Amino acid sequence: MIGQLFRLSGRGLADFKIHPWAHLLTLVAVAMVTLLAGFILLSLHNINIHLLKSRGEVQFQIYWRSDASPELIQTQWEKIGTMEYLQEIKGFTPQDALVELAETLGKTGDFSWLKEQNPLPYSALTSFAVPPEAQQEGWAADLLTKLKAMDGVAEVHYTPLQADLAKGWRVISRAIIWPIIGFLGMVVALVVGNTIRLSLLTRQDEIEILSLVGARPWYVRWPLLTGGMVQGLLGSAAGVGLLKLAQNALADSLNIAPLFIEIRFLPMEQVLALCGAVTLVSAISSWVAVR
Amino acid sequence: MVEVQHLSYNFGSQWALKDINFSLGKGEFLFLTGHSGAGKTTLLRLLYGALPLTKGRATVAGFELHRLKRRHVPGLRRRVGVVFQDFKILPRRSVFENVAMALEVRGMARSPLERRVRAIIRAMGLETKSYTLCERLSGGEQQRVAIARSMVTNPELILADEPTGNLDFDLTMHLMDIFKQFHTYGTSIIMATHSREVLEAVPDARILHLEQGRVVELDGETIMESEEEFA
Ligand SMILES: Nc1ncnc2c1ncn2[C@@H]1O[C@H](COP(=O)(O)OP(=O)(O)O)[C@@H](O)[C@H]1O
Ligand SMILES: [Mg+2]
Repeated sequence: MIGQLFRLSGRGLADFKIHPWAHLLTLVAVAMVTLLAGFILLSLHNINIHLLKSRGEVQFQIYWRSDASPELIQTQWEKIGTMEYLQEIKGFTPQDALVELAETLGKTGDFSWLKEQNPLPYSALTSFAVPPEAQQEGWAADLLTKLKAMDGVAEVHYTPLQADLAKGWRVISRAIIWPIIGFLGMVVALVVGNTIRLSLLTRQDEIEILSLVGARPWYVRWPLLTGGMVQGLLGSAAGVGLLKLAQNALADSLNIAPLFIEIRFLPMEQVLALCGAVTLVSAISSWVAVR
Repeated sequence: MVEVQHLSYNFGSQWALKDINFSLGKGEFLFLTGHSGAGKTTLLRLLYGALPLTKGRATVAGFELHRLKRRHVPGLRRRVGVVFQDFKILPRRSVFENVAMALEVRGMARSPLERRVRAIIRAMGLETKSYTLCERLSGGEQQRVAIARSMVTNPELILADEPTGNLDFDLTMHLMDIFKQFHTYGTSIIMATHSREVLEAVPDARILHLEQGRVVELDGETIMESEEEFA
């Protein structure tokens, strides 16, 4: 059974010899489509990296209620100090805040008369830096909720701009990526499906005879299916190879002042997913072609 | 082995077969005779599932053709060896490959397969041409390849459509000997022919004579008045 499958697969590959040009052109087409898809993925990947690298930072200004005890606030500062991804925490007692305020206002402001009845609350300025790989959907909002939920906290202000920008980019990239992937998938399916149909047509006599001597449908289809699958595999591998060459050539082209963007290659799982998807589409389209 | 009841078949408005009835026991030899266009090929094609049975009933090697699903057709064809009128061999493949095909689709292991293919090729007198491409063979040699392929699987039933049509007398007799040998081993055979020599080669065979799609004579009994002289 296994031996038979191998023999049939070999027969499917032997079809490449019957129509070398058609199969070669299909391989080139599949490689080109893979390359194009790879370029798009690569661009998205690199934009993501750069956007998220600088955008993983978020600052929160935390204000406590005036009735919160200094001891409670002290322990909470310590607690925040142990939180994950914390960059910096700066606690302000009402006095600190007053001094700060006075400093910002310069000589014109003298608030020493307020010392006894300071209206300013306890507050803290915190900044977090979350690395891209730890940024789950809504991570900034989660942090915000966590801080707001703390005992005695009256208000939390934050600078959401950067985090929101990253989120917006992700929505956009998702919106463009699916139509493009769908379109490229269709191209692969048509190109491979047609070549396999060509193999099918030239083997029409053989297929008829095989079926007349009692071959089951899978026996007839398997060689054609392997043919399509191998085309998807070789074509996508070639496309990824070209992409790697292009990336090598261009890696440092943007790595100049003031950009300092180093173009990185796709992570392995994306490469595998790309090849797998192209191969799968090829296999499915050849299966449809020989039905 | 074969049981046919009230079988009719039409191509559009033209009836190619009309109300055919006969049965064939295990190990029997039946000739289908009749002029060209009488319906012999159509009847055989119905029997191996190349045409769908639309009217009447037929059972072949345990397969009920009137309720045959598409997925059962390969099973039927594995029980039946068919020699096609137009050979249906692949010109760009060798004699060996063409004959081996029938065993390969059954998934037979390589070494018994090779033994059997060689034996049948030898019996057909083609051993010196095993690796010759079929397109290089004469018509008679191609016919022998087709016969070898139908027999290599050792089928219970052989359907042969004018298998000696292009051959000279000596070769015809040689091949009839091979068919007879299979027959004596218990293989059932239905052979379409319009050659007297072929009929005479198997004197104890039954004969079903067709005329314009109807059975005119079966086993020497007249079923219908013939409108033609028996060729
Ligand atoms: N594929 C077909 N389409 C239409 N008519 C056909 C077809 N095959 C055979 N026929 C008709 O059916 C009749 C029987 O043909 P056939 O079975 O080939 O006869 P035989 O084999 O006895 O010479 C003939 O009249 C022929 O023209
Ligand atoms: Mg005929």
